[in-house]
Amino acid sequence: MSSSAEAPVAIKFDHVTKTYKLYENDRQRFFSIFSSRDKRKLITKVNASNDLSFEIKKGEAVAFLGHNGAGKSTALKMITGVTFPTKGEVIVNGTVSALLELTAGFDMALTGRENIHLRGHAMGLDADEIAALEPKVVEFADLGVYIDQPVRTYSSGMKSRLGFAFAVSSDPEILVVDEALSVGDKQFQQKCFARVREIMEDENVTVLFVTHSSSAAQEFCTRGIVLDKGTKKFDGSIQDAIAFYESHE
Amino acid sequence: MGTLSEILKEQWQWRKQILSLGLFDLKKTSAGAVLGPLWFFAKPAVYILVFWFALEVGLRSADQTGSDVPYILWLMGGLIPWFYIQEILGTGINVFKRYSYLVTKIKFPLAGIPTIFSISTFVVQLGLVVALLVVYFLCGLPLDLYLLQLPVALVLMFVFFNMFSLVTSLLSAISKDFMNLMKTLSTPLFWLSGIIFNVFNLGIPVIELILMLNPITFIVTMYRCAVYDKMWIWDKPEAIIGFVVVFVVTLLVTLVIYRRTHEEVADVL
Repeated sequence: MSSSAEAPVAIKFDHVTKTYKLYENDRQRFFSIFSSRDKRKLITKVNASNDLSFEIKKGEAVAFLGHNGAGKSTALKMITGVTFPTKGEVIVNGTVSALLELTAGFDMALTGRENIHLRGHAMGLDADEIAALEPKVVEFADLGVYIDQPVRTYSSGMKSRLGFAFAVSSDPEILVVDEALSVGDKQFQQKCFARVREIMEDENVTVLFVTHSSSAAQEFCTRGIVLDKGTKKFDGSIQDAIAFYESHE
Repeated sequence: MGTLSEILKEQWQWRKQILSLGLFDLKKTSAGAVLGPLWFFAKPAVYILVFWFALEVGLRSADQTGSDVPYILWLMGGLIPWFYIQEILGTGINVFKRYSYLVTKIKFPLAGIPTIFSISTFVVQLGLVVALLVVYFLCGLPLDLYLLQLPVALVLMFVFFNMFSLVTSLLSAISKDFMNLMKTLSTPLFWLSGIIFNVFNLGIPVIELILMLNPITFIVTMYRCAVYDKMWIWDKPEAIIGFVVVFVVTLLVTLVIYRRTHEEVADVL
């Protein structure tokens, strides 16, 4: 969990700004395809990330603290690569496994087991790697006979368990946890905590933890970054970050 | 230019994922039905039989081309590529919705997503082309060089409609209007593209010329050149010119639209 100064950089944000364009209505969005961008008047712009710069070293465990709408999820989405910064640069070294909205992203018509294969294919694993991964996920999710039933028959708790099991079983280099540990019953939560701790013991894994609950952050992280309205308000040790976050509530 | 090489590079780098997701898609479509993959071929078979019955037996419009080759081959040469194109015009124009988890949850190249659907549809098409060849040889027709036009037509169809799927899906993601427009045009395109009539036999030069700008007509013509008309596609130069023009225009439009919209799609889906 320690981070030495010479450790390689896992994630780097270099003056990153992410602007969401909010159109007044669908017609404006339609015309934006044809007219040159940024020149239309009827667009409201929201900076979800505003000139954000930080560097996270390999093996660090960092908590992002902030209220709803502080830009935490946007930052994470840019790290996972599903959305792009409007300005600036995001550099990520290593495979990212993200626990973003655990219940989303499953194919409802497929069974749990087939969904494991589907995600494995999407991540570019070959048949052997998927075959090795499958029993680990099945065991961790612990869904019993339901693993071979369509996901649409799952309860939301079951879906989260499957999503979590996949994310932590695939040996990521960077693990992104977005409020995800609050899933399932108490027993499963403890299992999740134990597994995340186990992953973090590996010096090479970088963990990003997004939360607005400071106790969970303290449990796992050594460093905290406080975000507010897309800008970095504080960056330091987790105790100081929590103290800062709570004093500005 | 940069955009084109970026798209092609992504397709190449992710080829493994794209291929396995395409095959997985087929598996997914056939899951949940006991007869599974048989359904991929049941609908085309019924369509072909119904059109054959309606056109040859019912309307007696079979002898349009004055050839000795059985009419069923002419009909299959038109309908079989149409089954592929129909899938693209139906689902392929809005693939980002079908694979939204690849856009919003996983890092995956946007331009590779239409290819996944194209591959899964293409596998079915290959099965149908095999069926076409079985009927062809059952009719006692020879194995000749003209048949080489079939693989060429397959490749051109794949490339063109994959590009078409990319540009329409980008537009559909930004605005529903494009999706509705394409849905509205799907059935008219079937009746206007010369799938069940001979476009070279209309006797109205202006209309024939316009139809040459329809890529569906080009693909259908090429299939028929191979299995029915027994001629080379370059014996109809107007068809090649029309296709090249539409291909280049579509390519340019795709590149412009891709450059303008691809970073935005994940935010609007």
